[in-house]
Amino acid sequence: MYRVGIDIGGTFTDMLLVGEDGTAVIGKTLTTPGDPSLAVENALKPVLQNGAVKAQERGTLIHGTTLVTNALIERKGAPTALLATSGFRDAVEIGREHRYELYDLNLDLPKPLVPRHLRFDIPERMAADGSVLQPLDEDFVRRLVCELRDNGIKAIGVSYLNSFRNPVHEQRTGEIIAAVAPHIRVSLSSEVVAEIREFQRTSTTLANVYVQERVADYLAQLAERLKTIGFAGSFFVMLSSGGIATRDTSSRFPVRLLESGPAAGALAAARAGMLSGHQDLLSFDMGGTTAKLCVIEGGQPLKTHEFEVDRVYRFRKGSGLPMRIPVIDMIEIGAGGGSIARIDSLGLLKVGPESAGADPGPVCYGQGGAEPTVTDADLVLGYLDPRYFLGGKMQLDLDGARQALGRLGQRLGMSVEQAAWGIHQIVNENMANAARAHLGERGKDPRRLPMYAFGGAGPVHGCHVAEILRLPALISPFGAGVGSTFGLLAAPLAFDFVRSAYSRFDQLDWQFANGLLNEMAQEGRKILKSSGLSSKDISYERTADMRYVGQGHEVPVALPDGMLEPRHLDEIFVAFENTYQALYGRKGPEVPLEVINWRVVARGPQPEMNLQLRRDTANSGDARKGSRLAYFAERGGYIETSIYDRYALKPEMAFTGPAIVEERESTLIISVRGRARVDERLNVIVDLTDAK
Amino acid sequence: MQNKAIDPVTLEVIWNRFLSVANEQQDTLIRTAFSTIVRESQDLACGLFDTKGRMIGQSLSGTPGHINAMATSMKHFLAAFPPDRLAPGDVLITNDPWQTAGQINDITITTPTFKNGRLVALFANTCHSADIGGRILSAEAREVFEEGLRIPIMKLFERGEPNRVLMQIVRANVRQPDEVIGDFYAQSACNDAGGRALLEMMEEFELDSIDPVADEIIRRSEAAVRAEIAKLPSGEWCNETWSDGFEESIVIRCALRVARDEIFIDFSGSSPQSTRGINVVLNYTHAYASFAIKAAICPDVPHNEGSFRPVHVSAPPGSILNALEPAPVASRQVIGHFIPSAIFAALSGAMPGRLMAPGADPIWLSVWRGQNPSFTLTLFQVGGTGARPSQDGLNAVGFPSGVAGVPAEVIESLSPVVLQRRQLRADSGGAGKWRGGLGQLTEFSRRGEGKWSVSSIADRTVYPAPGLLGGQAGATGEVSLGDGTRLHAKALMDLKQGDVVHINLPGGGGYGDPFERDVEKVRWDVIEGYITVAEAEQKYGVAIRYTGRPDDLVKLPAKWMIDTEKTAELRRS
Repeated sequence: MYRVGIDIGGTFTDMLLVGEDGTAVIGKTLTTPGDPSLAVENALKPVLQNGAVKAQERGTLIHGTTLVTNALIERKGAPTALLATSGFRDAVEIGREHRYELYDLNLDLPKPLVPRHLRFDIPERMAADGSVLQPLDEDFVRRLVCELRDNGIKAIGVSYLNSFRNPVHEQRTGEIIAAVAPHIRVSLSSEVVAEIREFQRTSTTLANVYVQERVADYLAQLAERLKTIGFAGSFFVMLSSGGIATRDTSSRFPVRLLESGPAAGALAAARAGMLSGHQDLLSFDMGGTTAKLCVIEGGQPLKTHEFEVDRVYRFRKGSGLPMRIPVIDMIEIGAGGGSIARIDSLGLLKVGPESAGADPGPVCYGQGGAEPTVTDADLVLGYLDPRYFLGGKMQLDLDGARQALGRLGQRLGMSVEQAAWGIHQIVNENMANAARAHLGERGKDPRRLPMYAFGGAGPVHGCHVAEILRLPALISPFGAGVGSTFGLLAAPLAFDFVRSAYSRFDQLDWQFANGLLNEMAQEGRKILKSSGLSSKDISYERTADMRYVGQGHEVPVALPDGMLEPRHLDEIFVAFENTYQALYGRKGPEVPLEVINWRVVARGPQPEMNLQLRRDTANSGDARKGSRLAYFAERGGYIETSIYDRYALKPEMAFTGPAIVEERESTLIISVRGRARVDERLNVIVDLTDAK
Repeated sequence: MQNKAIDPVTLEVIWNRFLSVANEQQDTLIRTAFSTIVRESQDLACGLFDTKGRMIGQSLSGTPGHINAMATSMKHFLAAFPPDRLAPGDVLITNDPWQTAGQINDITITTPTFKNGRLVALFANTCHSADIGGRILSAEAREVFEEGLRIPIMKLFERGEPNRVLMQIVRANVRQPDEVIGDFYAQSACNDAGGRALLEMMEEFELDSIDPVADEIIRRSEAAVRAEIAKLPSGEWCNETWSDGFEESIVIRCALRVARDEIFIDFSGSSPQSTRGINVVLNYTHAYASFAIKAAICPDVPHNEGSFRPVHVSAPPGSILNALEPAPVASRQVIGHFIPSAIFAALSGAMPGRLMAPGADPIWLSVWRGQNPSFTLTLFQVGGTGARPSQDGLNAVGFPSGVAGVPAEVIESLSPVVLQRRQLRADSGGAGKWRGGLGQLTEFSRRGEGKWSVSSIADRTVYPAPGLLGGQAGATGEVSLGDGTRLHAKALMDLKQGDVVHINLPGGGGYGDPFERDVEKVRWDVIEGYITVAEAEQKYGVAIRYTGRPDDLVKLPAKWMIDTEKTAELRRS
């Protein structure tokens, strides 16, 4: 059985296929925004048909996508309405009522996904104990939904107060919408995230439904297309937590895919780091639309349950839309190869966050893009070869890029080259600032973390960003341009389940708790077995989110295996106190405990990653394949720069910057001060410390 | 390494690390706290101090009144317990209003950090306690002694052992003992987290002392603030600001003098101290004054001892901004939060066109108390902020306080109080070229039978937030019952079974002439329901009508039309 990872970014679709014997095939193709599944076909079909895979062989396809994040950042979701409890339609706008930055008098708040005129007060009310204070006015809902339908609304989020205690009003509303307007997509907050705090829950629910149609349509199309090109096997989607889910679950809860592609990237960096002896890294993944940074510690990406998308203020916490989902802890900013350069009202050059995406794409793609982008600048600076983009599969229009930059430069009083260098510098500074904030919040010293640079544009910008941050080194893997796909295949099949069931710990109904845990384990077993795993390969991680009675935040406590019984009371209590003390340095007061959530992760074995990279263009000749003019400010402008062929690099080779290393899917720019060597896994490691 | 000069790169890294240590401290506090005041509203401050008690870093959030007042409290802690009387595992506590944050509910907890037996730093935090006994948090007391239990500077933990006598006394005196003691533990854990992170970092950078780094941080910050002040024209500007007060209106007179690279702020001529608990101690006055200066002229300069130094604050003893014992002080924020607006009003003479119009200013508190089951709940609410020179004010966002609201679901999970409405208040933002931020409409009732009461601590119900440069005033706030009865905005009131309490928060002042507001912006405000059609016509001179059916529930933007001719006519007049 072969396994294939496919990561769809805003601009490119990447593929990695690994056969039973470990042979790997890499593919990269332009994302097709109109129908993203077309790009999957473009990447996969040649492989399925060229004999790399036997015709009837079953496969497992794992898919990562940044579609959800991009749709939210660029506000490209369906026209969406919110139904809220009467008097609370402003919960998403009032938010937390505080300033995320104390001293700035000019700050702004993120705009809710749904404007106020599409947020509606619904007569109904649940109490905190789940009893009905006011019955749902079904006639009103019906009338409103008819009007919404007639006005072209395509998605409705339903978020009523206290629905995490009693969801029946939300459920009934869902039924009415299904009856009146079956084509309108609906998300109920009690299904998306059954957690207390109306602002965060509503915000997450709206994001879920806002992108649902795009995601569901796309996954259905993809499944259809996979069938037609002869893919036989199972199909999964990577979640923001680094776990994997079925297509059905993913279409219903797309918000859990928010950082799907980037999560895979972080997993890839973590895994590759482990294999090459770097347990602590800064993962830097720059694609066509965004750049993602993540701290890897002890071989694992940091994780969190709180996430914000679309931060409006210098990457400051609290300045984005809050999402309550399990997610790998990373920062993402609108800086990619497709980021558009413009001049703002003060006459200053700005880059991003708007992206030209894949369509029209940068000017040099020659698909009608007119505004200059980061990729256009990189091309003009000589970092990219117009005849070797995607290994020559795509011709880049250098003249077009120069003209667009010329127009921009003219308005700034700059030459074409100065404008290009300006864009390159500004996008690097933007990314370095984001990294600094992310590292700072986590108390990490950048000078100790090497950068792991991948993604199509990551190796182009990595050295310069690393230098701004004073990182000691840069590691760029073989196949960097499709780096995230390694993570898709590095993750074990794993499913996260959670059940919210509040109880005082000393008054716990043990039978009920065992029932919940078994139910979740069974669901996990069923899904994993249907994906081809046998029972003995499946392991379960069971935790309870607990806290002292009266607190607002929980601590995950690992539970013992087997049936839980009252005799476990002390054991679990001690486990809680130990976890609490490890986290916070001291035990709490003498107050009883309460349980909020029960969680089970069902997990298959960690896949082997012993890849035999197929080098069908393997070059046994000279690694230095030529030279071209490339721009290095330290050297005063364009200088003749050596070009190395990635496929001819062998372990122990070494060379110094400035230099260019080309492979089909990406180009590595080694800065003037960089000293590169190749390790036995064919990573290029660039030492950036001053060579004195 | 402390003997060598610190290179700027190392300084930057260590400095950032101090800030991340303080953020780790704050994160632990919010995650381990029991009261909603700390864990939801974040009425707190966390900071890191050198061995001389100088603040060198603060956490990201927090509220200015706490941050700066906590900073000045440190000298009192060190006077009461000099380093030779401190040992590892000791934790100090006090809530003395004159030594710390000006209110007996604010508990400051300080923990010394030792390395190899030597004091290397102090971590402190100030949090608003769920209860401190007395007559419940209100503005009604006549002496501080009525306002609750006063804890002089003493040890909460001694060498790791809890001070059980103190905890018993506190437990016996407060309405919510588990929450109050739970927060003491959270506040202690929070300092531990900071201490641990600091020691790890000192290990990593091979530091035996942070004092030389602190010197450098303070020196650079002070220099940066002085450089910004020096850009202002020298001179003196005066202004006055009015508060509703308790029995009579209160005036704050502010004289601001820029002398080269220092600022002198004097509040002579302000009202004398009040008989009721709205008095402000000088610590707190100083805290908000230095906050205002920093926000106005150097928001990017890090906040520490150095950035306080060039700002000098004075107020006559016995006046409302320098109240003397035994004045009641529990609700000092209703006056104290006017200080930034008062200073901006004066400072706008020195920096025209750069400051915002006044907003709702004081944060509103309501303390809900009742039985069956027993509950005490402290809620914070905010109105709109003032409009800015090129932006609207913010809707329902606090300024100057940095405190957050409490979710309705959290309120209801902890008490029988039901929040029936929390929505933006149309037409409450002062009209202007840039509109003031909107206030909120909120309604409270209770479930079940039982006694209940509310202590409201509100302002700007008489004096609205004024507009600036032709902008109009925001709407005043209101505290009333469902039947329309207006209530005293600063009173403790017993409520009846079916009462519904309306708390409607003020809007911010507008900026510039409303007739100059972009017509399309006015139309959008109508579409979104921020202003009514009538307000658009009367205050902005823009005639807008809805062209769909009047009973449409869904009113899309395309159906809102501007009557261009009528608008031109209105704006001509």
